Amino acid sequence: MPPPWKWLLPSIIAILLVESSGAQQAREGTSATPAPSPLTEAQLNAAIALDSLTVPTPGEFFKAIDKTGKPNWVSQFRPPTPISGVNRAQMALNLGTLIADGYIAVEAQDGQQVKNIGRDVLALAKKLSVSDSVLARGKSITQFAEDGSWDQLNEELEATQNEVKKALEENRDNDLITLVSIGGWIRGTQVVTGLLVESYNPETAKLLRQPALVGYLRGKLDQLPNKLRQDKLVVKVNADLQNIANLVSFPADHVPTANEVKTLNQASAKLTKEISTGE
Amino acid sequence: MKRLLLYLSVLLGGAAVLFGAETNDQTKAHSDVLDLAGAFQNDGFKLRDGTWYGQVSKDHPQAMQVNLYSGNGYWFSAANADGSTGLAVSVFDDHGNPVEVQSYQKDNKAAAGFSPDASGLYYVEVSSSAPAATIFCLIYSYK
Repeated sequence: MPPPWKWLLPSIIAILLVESSGAQQAREGTSATPAPSPLTEAQLNAAIALDSLTVPTPGEFFKAIDKTGKPNWVSQFRPPTPISGVNRAQMALNLGTLIADGYIAVEAQDGQQVKNIGRDVLALAKKLSVSDSVLARGKSITQFAEDGSWDQLNEELEATQNEVKKALEENRDNDLITLVSIGGWIRGTQVVTGLLVESYNPETAKLLRQPALVGYLRGKLDQLPNKLRQDKLVVKVNADLQNIANLVSFPADHVPTANEVKTLNQASAKLTKEISTGE
Repeated sequence: MKRLLLYLSVLLGGAAVLFGAETNDQTKAHSDVLDLAGAFQNDGFKLRDGTWYGQVSKDHPQAMQVNLYSGNGYWFSAANADGSTGLAVSVFDDHGNPVEVQSYQKDNKAAAGFSPDASGLYYVEVSSSAPAATIFCLIYSYK
């Protein structure tokens, strides 16, 4: 019998050589290049912000949390949200929170919960007259949930959110897009801080730093037409966001304490409840 | 007849902009950048369902704000429509200082890979060394 290295060595070399073509392509041509010059004040001010890329998805937020431990996602489920309201601002905000709920159900790998939330998302989208475009997404969500295809579900949820926003744009309801984004971010923040209140972890607490994001969302609220901006719930959301902006605006080297996290959790939970009940 | 065709093309172009439909240049840049991002997807990166189309030329870079999370890894990928080389993607912190990235440049495509130490605002810049203006498409993926 030949010595083990005679057959083992070629196998190891073969394994090292056979990389996935994707990974190889990604590495081809990569290098550490010299640093470019800093951006000027004018360039910083001219930098554009796009809702579809500047605002992170709840899925992106939750992916970062997954790396810091094993969060108890199920503990963050909430009772079904009432979707019977007639206030369009409230419906758009609620739609954002519901889509965030979808991501939580995906993280918890609870197929039934994903399907229930998908159904509520569709019902609310229908009330906002955008159901046709998201109907196909709803079917995919159900199918992926039944198959336990969690990665695809994450992508499908983001696509659904963008589909809703695109439909709102086509319906000349651009103003509601900001509210969908705000609803999603607030619910995501409530969930992350809720996990931290249960089990504090400094690495996860560092993720809460998002001063510019809240500033961007509040800036969009300020640009809403007068009538929508003066909507009772929107006024409340704007005021609460100001308070929340202070809580997520801290220096890059600061780690929020357990008490600071608890305060943020209470603020975001209060706002999520206001969105849900409309009061 | 020519005038009618001109009116129609202006109308259709306007409709494309109004309803967010892609132009041919955008479609080409989008398709090319998806090819590149597919390689990162094979490495486990998830693609954001959003695109940034812009126009870039030498001395006229474009920057976009993104809000990132520490602990996540990101790849910002771009491709241009005219096939010219010299496209580059850079990342800057919230003060506009460049951060160290893993750079990729090949043909009409470029990408920057980055794992932030701190959550918060960053700027992604697309630049080009080609003098002629070209349409680009940028997408990003994370894991």
